[in-house]
Amino acid sequence: MVSPSVLLNLAEAVAAAPQHGLIRVPVRGEDPIQLRQMIMAWCERTGNEFVEVDSWSVAVRRGRRADPLADIAPEQVPGTRLWLYTNFDCNLSCDYCCVLSSPRTDRRALGVDRVRQLAVEAVAAGVSELILTGGEPFLLPDLAELVAACTRALPTTLLTNGMLFHGRRLETLKAMDRDRLTLQISLDSATSETHDQHRGKGSWQRAVDGIRTAQTLGFTVKVAATLPADQAHTVEALQAFLDLIGVARRHQVIRAVAHQGAAEDGLELTLESLIPEVTITADGVYWHPVAAADPDQFVTADIFPLATAIAEVRKRYALQLARANESAQWFPCA
Amino acid sequence: MSELLLGAVAYTPNVVTIWEGMRGYFAHTEAPIDFVLFSNYGRQVDALLAGAIDIAWNTNLAWVRTVLQTNGHCRALAMRDTDTVFQTVIVARAGSRIDGLTGLWGRRLALGSKDSAQAAILPVYYLREAGLAADEVELVRIDSDVGKHGDTGRSEFDALRAVLDDRADAAALGINTWEAIGREELMPGAFEAVWSSPTYSHCNFTVLPALASERTDPWLKQLFAMDWNNTTHRKILELEGLRAWVPPELDGYQSLFAAVQQQGISIRW
Repeated sequence: MVSPSVLLNLAEAVAAAPQHGLIRVPVRGEDPIQLRQMIMAWCERTGNEFVEVDSWSVAVRRGRRADPLADIAPEQVPGTRLWLYTNFDCNLSCDYCCVLSSPRTDRRALGVDRVRQLAVEAVAAGVSELILTGGEPFLLPDLAELVAACTRALPTTLLTNGMLFHGRRLETLKAMDRDRLTLQISLDSATSETHDQHRGKGSWQRAVDGIRTAQTLGFTVKVAATLPADQAHTVEALQAFLDLIGVARRHQVIRAVAHQGAAEDGLELTLESLIPEVTITADGVYWHPVAAADPDQFVTADIFPLATAIAEVRKRYALQLARANESAQWFPCA
Repeated sequence: MSELLLGAVAYTPNVVTIWEGMRGYFAHTEAPIDFVLFSNYGRQVDALLAGAIDIAWNTNLAWVRTVLQTNGHCRALAMRDTDTVFQTVIVARAGSRIDGLTGLWGRRLALGSKDSAQAAILPVYYLREAGLAADEVELVRIDSDVGKHGDTGRSEFDALRAVLDDRADAAALGINTWEAIGREELMPGAFEAVWSSPTYSHCNFTVLPALASERTDPWLKQLFAMDWNNTTHRKILELEGLRAWVPPELDGYQSLFAAVQQQGISIRW
């Protein structure tokens, strides 16, 4: 049994501490498991925050700090949007692909069964939008069924390079729900030179054709550009081109290259610098879609229950925010 | 309208947070306040009687002393919901076989600070009420933080340590301290409650007749409007240990008036 003195010392110290102050009480020779259980139960009962128990001390914080997620914009709360990597193989080999997709990459498909279950659980978990990405989803033979499972559940965005809207795949596209599906097509420049340099010869023209096809079929089309640092000056020209072909400014997504996957340089994006967007792959859950090949940003192999996976990401993010706030208090300028 | 000046005793750093929060809450109302902190309740009651403050956030003993020093010419405005159901608890080692107050006959009872109503004055009163004479229960007095009327709880923790160290057979605590250690539930086999007192009243906002109802009514209206479901209000309410402000229950002070008279407690500490 844990010595009652531990709790007396702790309760007395907490009573004298300022709100949110950290209290550390020394302990000696206590069973760590029993001690931890008792302190956690005490914190739960008395409205204080458990911090840690080690061989020498017990640490708690007086009161409970506000939920760090309460202060962030609702659309940035992890799990508001759910990213699904349908597959990792692609018909292109972009030199900055964040997940190393190419025709030689293993498919690692999520599969219809898992996507169907994810879509259903996403609704229950409070997700408001599904985003399908790859790889190139239009390489999948069962894409129609997979997209239908998503659009039945929630508004969905499908990311594609727009190059495969022909024959059977065009028929697949035509059958998709225009009211519930947005297409996001990649296009990096106003002319073919830069786009083709990174994505492959002829890819720019085929992407532009894909945008027009999707627009003609009545889909809402967003265009996403990935700009290397040396192309930042081309933004205005790209925007003007997109305006010209009828892509509204609110549907123009322009971002920098991230130093992930195949990219040799670019923005350094770490767990600490990324606001998480819950991302599901065949391998498990990742912190963010831009880092779905980065072992450092792997969260858990357990995709299901989805609500638990989302809760885990939120918990880690809340802890990260709390630590950041704490660091600010612990490391003043002087 | 000028601010009402409120007095409170600084027994923890959180007192600053509480009253700055209260000042912020009242700032945009028709009854703004400022506050002054005192090191002990004696000083605070002196300041109230001298007219240096308008309202005193008093313990039950400070209320009784204000009543006695003004011949009853003072008013209690409001209290916490938790102040209407305060209790004293007598706690012993688990398995002590002490059953009720009479079970303390021939035993040692650790008391908290001599100016703590819950941990010293009322326990002695209840012993006498139960028919136990002064020489029938050995009182182990632990006078720490005198002047703060037991608010810090320190003397009560020391009384519990006296029980653990076998310097006493039982300890007298306020219900808040008993709750703070999780009653019997978190440390099974350590302590048990052997007696609990009837409920009585604890703190209240005290004013003198010079402060007219025209000044106190708008303030009380705002005070009672504080809402547990409002997150801003709740931060203050949680720190001060209540869910709602309520009208005073003056009958709940009868036992303390009787105890102060019975024990010849001085009119001021």
